[in-house]
Amino acid sequence: MIKTERSFEGVYLALAIGALLIAPFILTESYTRHLLILALIYAVVASNWDLSLGYGGLFNFAHLAFFSIGVYGYGIMAKSIGISPWLAIPLAGLLSVAAAMIVAVPILRLGGIYIILVTFAFSQLVLQIVVSQSDITGGNMGMVGLPPLKLPGYNFVRDGKLGYYFGAVILLLSSTFFLRWLVNSPTGLSIVALRDNADYAVSRGISLAKQRVITLTASALFTGIAGGYYGAYIRVASPDAFGMGLLSLLLSILLVGGTSTIYGPILAAFLLTFISEAMVDLGPWRHMIVAVMIVAVLIFYPGGIWQAATGFNEFLKRRLGGRVARKTSAQST
Amino acid sequence: MQKLLEVDKLASGYGRIQIVRDISFSLATGECLGLFGPNGHGKSTLLKAISGLLPCWSGSIRFAGQTISNASPRKIVEAGLILVPQGNQLFPEMTVGETLRLGAFANAARAEEASNLERAYSIFPRLKERDRQQVWSLSGGERQMVAIGVGLMGNPKLLILDEPTLGLAPRIKDELCDAIGAVSKHGVPLVVVEQDVEFLLGLVDRLILIDHGSAVREFSAANSIGHDEIMDMYFGDGKVA
Amino acid sequence: MTAETVLYILVSGVVLGSLYALMAVGLALVWTTLGIFNFAHGMFITLGAYFAWTVADGNGLGWGLAAGIAFSVAALAALGCLAEAVLVRPFLKRDNLVLVAVITTLAAATFLENATLLSRGGRSKQLAPLAEGNISMFGIGLSAHEAAIVVIAPLILYSVWLFLQRTRTGSALRAIAQNQEAALLAGIPVARLYALSFALAASLAGLVGIFLGGIKFMSPSMGTDPMVKALVVVIFGGIASISGPIRAAYVIGLLEAVCIYSIGIYWTQAALFVVMIAVLMIRPTGLFGGQRA
Repeated sequence: MIKTERSFEGVYLALAIGALLIAPFILTESYTRHLLILALIYAVVASNWDLSLGYGGLFNFAHLAFFSIGVYGYGIMAKSIGISPWLAIPLAGLLSVAAAMIVAVPILRLGGIYIILVTFAFSQLVLQIVVSQSDITGGNMGMVGLPPLKLPGYNFVRDGKLGYYFGAVILLLSSTFFLRWLVNSPTGLSIVALRDNADYAVSRGISLAKQRVITLTASALFTGIAGGYYGAYIRVASPDAFGMGLLSLLLSILLVGGTSTIYGPILAAFLLTFISEAMVDLGPWRHMIVAVMIVAVLIFYPGGIWQAATGFNEFLKRRLGGRVARKTSAQST
Repeated sequence: MQKLLEVDKLASGYGRIQIVRDISFSLATGECLGLFGPNGHGKSTLLKAISGLLPCWSGSIRFAGQTISNASPRKIVEAGLILVPQGNQLFPEMTVGETLRLGAFANAARAEEASNLERAYSIFPRLKERDRQQVWSLSGGERQMVAIGVGLMGNPKLLILDEPTLGLAPRIKDELCDAIGAVSKHGVPLVVVEQDVEFLLGLVDRLILIDHGSAVREFSAANSIGHDEIMDMYFGDGKVA
Repeated sequence: MTAETVLYILVSGVVLGSLYALMAVGLALVWTTLGIFNFAHGMFITLGAYFAWTVADGNGLGWGLAAGIAFSVAALAALGCLAEAVLVRPFLKRDNLVLVAVITTLAAATFLENATLLSRGGRSKQLAPLAEGNISMFGIGLSAHEAAIVVIAPLILYSVWLFLQRTRTGSALRAIAQNQEAALLAGIPVARLYALSFALAASLAGLVGIFLGGIKFMSPSMGTDPMVKALVVVIFGGIASISGPIRAAYVIGLLEAVCIYSIGIYWTQAALFVVMIAVLMIRPTGLFGGQRA
């Protein structure tokens, strides 16, 4: 059983990587490539959120703040301080990890709703500090003209943003391998055990506090790096990165993609980034439609579209399995 | 004879897990019934299905001539069928008086609120003394009295008691047994669920053993049942020495 | 620091505390009865102000402030019922209700904010104050509007308390908060009371909006800042009781007034947050949260 699943996962993974490598040569238009890059970045952010929210069962609403801290961290380090962009992006990841540790401290002993309240309050606080410290962050106007990514003699934005596209693909792949490795490691299993039965897991010697810190900091690492990369790509750090618009987009990615799957949110990120961008001319209507869509998906499709996809996978397996069974029974008669 | 409660081939459970399979029994008007059996074999699930807290998967429940399977708990209370939960499942931060008055929330019970309160106080005089005390500060036996009192405030046509003596000391058990007898004498038919068969024998006319999610045997309380026979019913087939 | 300054800080702290208390009571009421946290509560504030403005202001219907307040409170009660039916009721039986409700109420907040922006525009408006002019007390001057808030808010809180303690419906609401299954077995119409608690909370938030609309300019996002403060208040005061958040609201209001005076408005939020974290590390259920989680 497990073996079939693994091999199926390998096949799908190979197909997905293949599609990602071919896509920019079919979709050559600059705007479409832009959307693909955004989708890749959002996929990283959403799948890492899935680690704390889905796998960890940790109702963390500070995740968007981890991303924004990455964006602003990149801006301050690469532009104001003048660190090389190539160094500033991983440092942005570490900055988010530090922020995650700060959030982790007050929620170590808290239960469900208080975790939501504290993490939500934290992200609002970071937003207000960013807006108020206008000397450093540009306040409401944000920071513009952040340094782009360059290799000697090659600007990533050339050839229709091809460099940024492949950079984002590498980012998503490394983040996904990191997440897959983590959730299948003993640490990952103990995180899930804590979510499913905290009392039992604690009685078996798993430390709630330690796992919470690990979950939060691990989910912040690639989120912060994605933030830094986003800053280097968009070249703007603005308070919008904390906004309800991006929050609803990420939430809908998680909802449509389903939680505790990693791949679901990645798939949904592509779908929803394109849908959301298609509605960009609608102004406020766009956010209202997304909001209605979120509630509708929750009512009618509690498991997300990923569930439908795995349903299809099961169906495929049953069909194939059924054929094998019929063959063997035909042989035996 | 007119039937007050008829449970027919009832099946129910939590989520996808079936607990009650195919239970049928009935209760005639003016009769008191006892249900007993080992823990985890569907007594509580049965009561929750009857009172509307859990869905009926199949089968039917009729009460006083109307079908109440899958009706809302409120409709069932309005019809006069009231389940008394165990005494530790009340409202801890409310006074005894407030709790009792909440029992008369149903429209059917409002008109009779004053007389029902008097009845509850006459059966459980101790509740009148503790009227302004908060429920969490009461003893286990007193809480059980409040729970039964709340049931009486609903102007019941049938009162179902869920393990009223669970965890009570023997002396309090006797006191409670007398009080429940008094409830029955006030003309309120009872279904009492208990593990303590001897407690039931003094109260009810008929006994039903619930085992593995179905009603397996029926006894008349008049024919006394011996201790060995009870142990045998609980543990069956001499598996336990 | 002169006596006037102290008094001034005290009064502005009590004004803030009154507004936070009205908000936090609604949040706590919904939490204790339904077991969900309503992130659209801040938008109820905004809508309270806009509904009142539409009816009261000369650029709207021009029927005067009293009609505006009456309409706004009634409209928010209706909206509260609707919100409960759409955002909470379909999910009541789900295991992850707490999380789902966070998401649906956040979505509703986005929806309502953009709907307000569409229908009323982003341009700032101002609501007429409850009372015109200024009054001076103990040597400091404050607007009659703020004085009215200081007096009216505790009266409203007291009537909510009376409703919960002295009426049959109020005690049924408390019963649901303590034991939902027992409440069902007593024949209490739990679903209807869910809607009622949402409606009551929404009306209280609407009143906050009306009070705020007389102090500050109105905008579709005017509810965001009080909402964040209310978050801090319920974390600070515990959410499982009604009295805890009220006390915490006045403490936070006063603390905020002191911070604004001493360290300035920009660092006030950070200071409140640090205090909140400190409290949580000592008492995970909040300063006034009692022992129950």
